[in-house]
Amino acid sequence: MSRCGRTAQLEAVAMGETSPAVSMELRAHVKQCALCRHELNWLETESAMFRQRAGRDEVAELWKGVEKRRGLSVEPRSWPRVLVAMAAAAVLLVMVGRAAPQQTSMATDSFSVEETLESSMLASPAFLFFEPSEPCSKLPSGVGFQCSPVVPASFLASR
Amino acid sequence: MLRLLQRTPVITPETPDEALVRRAQQGESAAFKALFERHVVSVRRFLRDLLRQSDLADDATQETFARAHAQLVKLADHDRFKPWVLGIARNVAFEARRVRQHDVLEDEDDGTPSAVIPSPDPERVLLDAELEKHFTEAMGTLSANRRAALLMRLDHGLGYEDIAAAFGWSIPTVKNEIHRARLKLRAHLLPHLTGENS
Ligand SMILES: [Zn+2]
Repeated sequence: MSRCGRTAQLEAVAMGETSPAVSMELRAHVKQCALCRHELNWLETESAMFRQRAGRDEVAELWKGVEKRRGLSVEPRSWPRVLVAMAAAAVLLVMVGRAAPQQTSMATDSFSVEETLESSMLASPAFLFFEPSEPCSKLPSGVGFQCSPVVPASFLASR
Repeated sequence: MLRLLQRTPVITPETPDEALVRRAQQGESAAFKALFERHVVSVRRFLRDLLRQSDLADDATQETFARAHAQLVKLADHDRFKPWVLGIARNVAFEARRVRQHDVLEDEDDGTPSAVIPSPDPERVLLDAELEKHFTEAMGTLSANRRAALLMRLDHGLGYEDIAAAFGWSIPTVKNEIHRARLKLRAHLLPHLTGENS
């Protein structure tokens, strides 16, 4: 049985793992080589079958089982952090504006937006709890922003 | 400033596995859940193909991710989550299979040389219910080890090095196993495929 030294390279072509240039060069060879054509037909047939099969996969809700086994708890994020921070900053700016109407135009000049964000976050205990899944939220209010990520006990126990 | 905002960036579909693994290793459950959501479909299909029973596959999928969570601190190659978790899935499946009957334990290598088998036309492959039935049957003729190796490569796109690491095999062994698995799959499927010249 005759062989072609290039057949072994075809799998990567069929699986889309080669550069376009290499792929084009090998496909040009395949046109001239019956052995490689035969092999590439099979490889592409296999790829097509696996791809079609994967495309119709459905997975039931399995996360609950993982949570239960590992004592995990991940609450859905209702508001992205940045949006919450921006909303709080806006509230603070309005409050500052009302308390000192004559300085309204100076409000953004006298302190930076970042300072506004941080001070508003520290001023609002609600901030410490808006994302209960975060390790930091396990600390008492008031220290939430100084905390480091906390490794759950279940995670440590598994080490 | 804004240390908190910087410390836990929002997870998006573009967040690489590597970053999620690091964050999950630091105890961020949401990062682990994101890894779960990203890989559960593959892991579940892999387990269904190995165990060939949907309810067992569901249970094994949950066990796989629970073990992955427990052992995540050991994963040093942060960008290798997929091969690593499929390796765990394989172990879980093999433990579950110990109590199962009717599985092919050894592959007998009477392999038909590929050159004498005509080749199908890949453009005309349609995996309908009938062909999928033959496909599943063909996979069932392989031993679980050989099937797992074939699936890791063809269905889940793992490289030979990753498969070798998952099995504790040499790369030539992996190549040989997958080659033989392919020949058997082809011989089984040929009567049900449309040929190049037909
Ligand atoms: Zn050739």
